[in-house]
Amino acid sequence: MKALKIGISGVRGIVGEAFTPEVAVSFAQAFGTYLDSGRILVCRDTRPSGPMVASAVMSGLLASGCEVVDLGVCPTPSMQLAVPQLGAQGGISITAGHNPASWNALKFVRADGLYLNEMQAEELLDIFHQGEFEKVTWDRIRTSIATGDAVGHHIDALRRAFDVAEVRARRLKVAVDCCNGACALLVPRWLEELGCEVLAINDDVTAPFPHDPEPRVETMAQVRALVKAGRADIGFVHDADGERLGIVDEGGSPLSEELTLVLATVIALGRKSGPVVTNISTTRLIDRIATRHGVPVIRTPVGQAHISEAILEHNAVIGGEGNGSVAVPAVQASHDSAATIGLLLGHLARSGTRVSVMVADLPRLAMLKQKVPVEPNLIFSALQDFRETVLGLPGASVDLTDGVKVDWPDGWVHVRASNTESLIRVIAEADTTVRAGELADWARDRLRR
Amino acid sequence: MRAIPTLKISISGVRGVVGDSLTPVLLTRFAQAFGTYVGSGRIVVGRDPRRSGEMVRQAVVAGLLSSGCRSVDVGVVPVPTVQLMVRRLGAVGGIAITASHNPAEWNALKFIGSDGLFLSGDRGHELLDIYHQGDYTKVRGSEMRAVELVPGATDVHAGLILKELGPLPRRPGGRPIRAVLDSCNGAGSIVTPRLIEALGAQVTAINVTPDGSFPRAAEPSPENLGALCAAVKREAADVGFAQDMDADRLAIVSDRGEPIGEELTLVLAVRHVLAVTPGPVVTNLSTTHAVDAVAAQFGCRVTRTRVGEANVAEGMLRAGAVIGGEGNGGVIYPRINFGRDSLVGIGLVLHLLAASGRSVSDLVAELPRYRMVKERVACPSQRIAEVLRKVRRDYAGFPTDLRDGVKVVLPDGWFQVRGSNTEPVLRLVAEAETDEAAARIARSVSAVVRSSR
Repeated sequence: MKALKIGISGVRGIVGEAFTPEVAVSFAQAFGTYLDSGRILVCRDTRPSGPMVASAVMSGLLASGCEVVDLGVCPTPSMQLAVPQLGAQGGISITAGHNPASWNALKFVRADGLYLNEMQAEELLDIFHQGEFEKVTWDRIRTSIATGDAVGHHIDALRRAFDVAEVRARRLKVAVDCCNGACALLVPRWLEELGCEVLAINDDVTAPFPHDPEPRVETMAQVRALVKAGRADIGFVHDADGERLGIVDEGGSPLSEELTLVLATVIALGRKSGPVVTNISTTRLIDRIATRHGVPVIRTPVGQAHISEAILEHNAVIGGEGNGSVAVPAVQASHDSAATIGLLLGHLARSGTRVSVMVADLPRLAMLKQKVPVEPNLIFSALQDFRETVLGLPGASVDLTDGVKVDWPDGWVHVRASNTESLIRVIAEADTTVRAGELADWARDRLRR
Repeated sequence: MRAIPTLKISISGVRGVVGDSLTPVLLTRFAQAFGTYVGSGRIVVGRDPRRSGEMVRQAVVAGLLSSGCRSVDVGVVPVPTVQLMVRRLGAVGGIAITASHNPAEWNALKFIGSDGLFLSGDRGHELLDIYHQGDYTKVRGSEMRAVELVPGATDVHAGLILKELGPLPRRPGGRPIRAVLDSCNGAGSIVTPRLIEALGAQVTAINVTPDGSFPRAAEPSPENLGALCAAVKREAADVGFAQDMDADRLAIVSDRGEPIGEELTLVLAVRHVLAVTPGPVVTNLSTTHAVDAVAAQFGCRVTRTRVGEANVAEGMLRAGAVIGGEGNGGVIYPRINFGRDSLVGIGLVLHLLAASGRSVSDLVAELPRYRMVKERVACPSQRIAEVLRKVRRDYAGFPTDLRDGVKVVLPDGWFQVRGSNTEPVLRLVAEAETDEAAARIARSVSAVVRSSR
């Protein structure tokens, strides 16, 4: 079966297979219809299929009567900030985020700059499937496409949210791997603004991805070497569109992507007390830290839309997911790796501490993340079967917020369908690696039946 | 059976009404079919200034990129400029986004081969087959090409015309020719006044804001040229030129401020070209026989083809023609372009005026006198063949040409009846040396047609 995933996170697939110009055009028409026309911002990451998808999207938006502002290559969070600033009705980000270069996707943003929530996404899908799109006649169609600079505006917003002078005074040395993604246009500029000495690699938006655009330990080799060779204070690695961030400490050791949100939470709660928002798959370290500060942790289903809405609803001081995504509400309620960098560097400058020291202060937990490929038409029956086997399990509690999460006092395992790919994710966490492995194996055994 | 009047898919491309049947999905699929047909390579894309042009262009670009082509964007340009650029850039094909003389709500894709000719006949059928089969070439992202922007294509076009035709010779008395131009706010709006001036004539231009508004009906037929005629009189100009939206067709207004009729655009161009370089002439079966009379003055032969620009252009290639075109104001001058080109037509007519030192009205008066009557008769598509058989039987005793409907040469004139390519109508053309004879022929043929439809 060819990969095309249409769901509440948008539409995603492999270009040259099922993700065709027709699919992109039709989704854009559906979105234009859903928003009753109006101004729509369009941005894309640096994938080579980006211009094709952008043309298809802009054609569909124009046909449905929208006024299109083309931001070109631009990080998704920059576009999200620009939507309310430019008085737009919404935005479409053309990016498959952390997926490999052969993929592409459309993500839909509403007038306040947040992703469509579950209900809104369902409505959009209904319009797409019904296929009855708004079509404007020649005298109402927009005749041209405007351009805009969302990155400059994003930098302004970051400058307002952080104490730039304080960071400038420290003149931190920062290594950054932009993965030749959209962040290459934002993050080096932002680091210069912060007075950092910048060691940038893979910052060419015209070049292919040097590695998978997923900030994981395996993709950090280049930036680790750069940190060591350049004696940097910290190293960063980005995804393709500016949501996820991976961190390397000053010794060149890579941090698990789970720790990006953990460090951000330590910093945020150290400055201001308030709720923390994360999804049910994210490390329990968050709860340990929140407990120290006496604040609640709100757990949501996986996906940025849930995180953003919960941040606003609970007036959270920080939010994000264990994949390296962090939302800093002082900037916006959406995942934003540039804002995450501002938070981290502000803390390093202010406290004079080192990344390795911050990590050493954290409690120790072991997490395993595994992917089980499943034919798309079998995913839900596999999950259903798994759920039957764990319900009523003695000594464990089962959470069905999103997939199936089974909690024991000494660990947990979470089994869920990916929102974006044809696979089931198994995530296990425990006090020791051995125990986490046992939990993951236990779940996988029950999935295979 | 219900006709859908807002969409026409044929071997000449796809035309439809924006906001109705001409959807971005349909357009992007056609572009994919074309990319699949020509194989990956450079495809020149240009458009007229219609308001829906940007929407259509984006859908086309997406389809071309998806099928592995490199889209070469020449912007808002005359259709003949797209044809010219296909050959000059060595592209594998071109797509012109224009519904030419159709009203503002229409738009269309016209497909151009690597030879700069519109696809028709076999090539058009092959493209349609691919479109309908729906199995298009789809390349991976890593094999996808970028969009290439090529500004200044109209300058290339005008420069080539200037180089081939040269500046206008000085007229007796030395006064430069004064021209008035009506570009219908179309694709010729910017480049045409520049070309006229570069050739050495003065120009007053009206309707040269290419913003997608239609200041008049786009077809440059006499009833739409009131403003141009008035301007020619007001300016005491030597000639008036009218273009359509995509600047392929050209109509001429005389120094007296009267439209001379679209059929005579080609006749004047033929007269000028044959005087300088005698050679074969090619036109379609419906075009005035004044072309034959003028060619005979220079001892040159005329070859007739089926109606349609591509048919004429292919006939010109075969015959090695020095000039050709169609009676709807379409002049094809192969030294510059193998497509109908109003810019070339203007260049040739200005040269005729300058070289002969005569006025448009004098030149027209000197032409052999013909009168033409055109009529449209509504007829269900499935009845057309039967009507044509009846006409053929009734005129069996006369020389007959059956390549495109029925054309019959009578002792005092000729007529042609053929089914339209675009609508459920029969088109009747009759021509003779007097109004009375032309009307008489048209009446009698029309009676046959109407009685048998």
